[in-house]
Amino acid sequence: MENAFIKTENLSFSYENGDGGENAVLYDINLEIEKGAFVAILGHNGSGKSTLAKLLNMILTPTGGKIYIDGTDITKPDMSEKDIIDLRSKIGMVFQNPDNQLVATIVEEDVAFGPENLGVEPAEIRRRVDEALATVGMTKYARHSPHQLSGGQKQRVAIAGAIAMLPECIVFDESTAMLDPMGRAEVMNTIEKLNREKNITVLHITHNMNEALCADRVIVMSDGRIILDGVPDEVFSHVEELKSVGLGVPQAAELMYSLSKNGIEIGKITGDENKCAQKLFDLINEK
Amino acid sequence: MRNKIEIENVSYIYSQGTPFCTEALKDVSCSFKEGIITGLIGHTGSGKSTLVQLLNGLLKPTSGRVLLDGKDIWENPKKINEIRFRVGLVFQYPEYQLFEESVYADIAYGPKNIGLDKDEIDKRVRQSAQFVGIDEGLFEKSPFDLSGGQMRRVAIAGIFALMPEVLVLDEPAAGLDPMGRDAVFNAVTAYQRTTGATVIIVSHSMEDMAKYADRIMVMSNAKVVLEGEPSEIYKNAKTLCSIGLDVPQITRLMMKLSDMGVPNRTDIFTVEGARDEILRLLGKGGNVND
Amino acid sequence: MIKDITIGQYFPGESVLHHLDPRTKLLLTVLYIVILFMAKSMLAFILIVLLTAALIPISGISFKVIAKSLKPLLFIIIFTMTLNLFFTKGEGEPLLSFWIINIYKEGVSFAIYMIVRIICLITGTGVILTYTTSPIQLTDGIEQLLAPLSKIKLPVHEFAMMMSCALRFIPTLVEETDKIMSAQKARGADFTSGSLIRRAKAIIPILIPLFVSAFRRADELAVAMECRCYHGGEGRTRMNSLHFSARDLLVTLVFVLFGAGVVLLNIFTRGIGIGI
Repeated sequence: MENAFIKTENLSFSYENGDGGENAVLYDINLEIEKGAFVAILGHNGSGKSTLAKLLNMILTPTGGKIYIDGTDITKPDMSEKDIIDLRSKIGMVFQNPDNQLVATIVEEDVAFGPENLGVEPAEIRRRVDEALATVGMTKYARHSPHQLSGGQKQRVAIAGAIAMLPECIVFDESTAMLDPMGRAEVMNTIEKLNREKNITVLHITHNMNEALCADRVIVMSDGRIILDGVPDEVFSHVEELKSVGLGVPQAAELMYSLSKNGIEIGKITGDENKCAQKLFDLINEK
Repeated sequence: MRNKIEIENVSYIYSQGTPFCTEALKDVSCSFKEGIITGLIGHTGSGKSTLVQLLNGLLKPTSGRVLLDGKDIWENPKKINEIRFRVGLVFQYPEYQLFEESVYADIAYGPKNIGLDKDEIDKRVRQSAQFVGIDEGLFEKSPFDLSGGQMRRVAIAGIFALMPEVLVLDEPAAGLDPMGRDAVFNAVTAYQRTTGATVIIVSHSMEDMAKYADRIMVMSNAKVVLEGEPSEIYKNAKTLCSIGLDVPQITRLMMKLSDMGVPNRTDIFTVEGARDEILRLLGKGGNVND
Repeated sequence: MIKDITIGQYFPGESVLHHLDPRTKLLLTVLYIVILFMAKSMLAFILIVLLTAALIPISGISFKVIAKSLKPLLFIIIFTMTLNLFFTKGEGEPLLSFWIINIYKEGVSFAIYMIVRIICLITGTGVILTYTTSPIQLTDGIEQLLAPLSKIKLPVHEFAMMMSCALRFIPTLVEETDKIMSAQKARGADFTSGSLIRRAKAIIPILIPLFVSAFRRADELAVAMECRCYHGGEGRTRMNSLHFSARDLLVTLVFVLFGAGVVLLNIFTRGIGIGI
């Protein structure tokens, strides 16, 4: 890939455990993600997916290998504090717990937190905050306290806080895991909109298979390694493999897989319900 | 099947008499059958979390009655603690309530409060740990050293150890990965099968409930709107969507197929059900390969 | 329930008091407390009660909220009242006398003044400061007022940021305490009966999970803040920078006039002789 926005070379990470030994979390990750991509990262708890995210903006420092963001080696020893801040404004992060990532007691003041740290002019902060809130559809709640919002709304505020820094990429670290279906839908719609309309590169870490279907590319991690990488349909056709690492597949893919085991010529397995319905429709009509 | 719990015209109002007062339940009447798993489904704010706290007497209805085995649980308010031992309630994210130094001590906290003797406590701790698949080798560990999924299961074992006749779980699998979800639901099923307890699971997930519940009750806007066997409930997929619930992907798929003109059944909510239906339509029913 | 405590809570609104500069409000609060404790005559007290009562509708905070905020203090109020009522020795004949208790006229007036003082203190500071100032504004105000201290290397910004985070998490942790209590009750915990030691011990199952959760939240918040480029106060700008307006001057003037009025009343009317 020529202009990969994120590129890792033999990236590894381990931490010292209490007994003086080392616990490896990531092994030799080689990954390239292009600008504007929508990538879902799947994996069970403890597969290393969140560690990978925290390495990308230097919250954690790798124990081996290199990371290039937009062509710059961020693992070089002479990274200054300013470089790190630049990096973090380029890669926004939204975390799992909506209650633990909002800093201020008023929605708009929270959204302003990032640009304020970057030393942006007050008038420009105002403009960015208004725009960010409009993008996530939370303008109406600008003067509310986050405490009065639903989980999905809080996550949208957190997203606005990330966009106000004008990032090129946002990493969603299980940002939908604690939400109800309505909250999930709100957040997923917002994420898709950011990717399509603002061309922001999205890394969506999740263990919800249906959410992974929205992505252009799915990366599956298990025990610190990448085991599958491809377009959703390609990845979800590995039904047995995914199950063996404690993940599921979308029900549509599971249905097609079990039909093929029963001697039906199912062709390419897909997790997308529309494509699957079309395929089944054709099969039934052929008969 | 006998009704284990009956709710009679129950209303519940939070912070009554203040500007913040909200009516969480509006004249609700419903019942939970003995010895089966009932899935209680509804979106956030539908009143289901209030309902479960009324079942074991953590909240007292503003009006109406809650009957356990036909008797009002508030008949003698001084004995409400006994009701709490008979109706075990597992809260959302129960791992955040762990506090003891060891896994063993934490599971034993409830039985100790009942006032059981040491041998009985020991028996219950071991049995509960077995239900949730926590190895006895972990007993002396601090619960805070376990993985998220293990902590969740230890917390659930803490309620199992009360040996409740009714077990109520509020979103027991929230935030877990698929493996963790299966482990939790298998623990609940194991407890139910062995003890014959009445189980109520609150969930947002239609897919999980399709897999594990014998009956389903749907709440919306402080009222019960649908109740019945899963197949009856999933027939009303459109109603479910309109009250902000997610039907399983497989149900949506079957509905789509029927919209395209295929004469298939649409009350399907599991992959196995869909597979059998498609095989039947293709004239290959009968001998099914799992 | 713990949830019902409103002391220290912020109620968003658009009143004059909401729009004052937080630095003004901090100064006014100090001024208000000084005036309150300077008052020595009945007329001075009436003046303060009038001022406080007028501030409530101006702030747009409902009387219900104020009444609720006083509820947790009921015990202290009654305690102070009884103490003053029964243990103040007056000069003349007691108004009421039975067994060893004598109630004097002075006792009655002392009790009334103390209650008025406590109620005004809570209501006044609430309306002027805590109810009408968002925690962020409040900490901004404190930070700026204390800014000169950073010249002598005191970590004023860090202190203000810590305070604002603490304030931000109060409602979350209060809710969490409620939840943990319910959950332990479901396991048969009893917080209301038994000896003092037993009750103190019963708190452990609440405190430990609460601490664990507070640390976990603090940890996650710290990471989230770092991800949003937080690196201390250096080079930081603000969306809403503070500036005094004519309004601030006007309100301060009103307060100063009130203060002067109280001082004059103290001098020219007969004092009732209560100290601080």
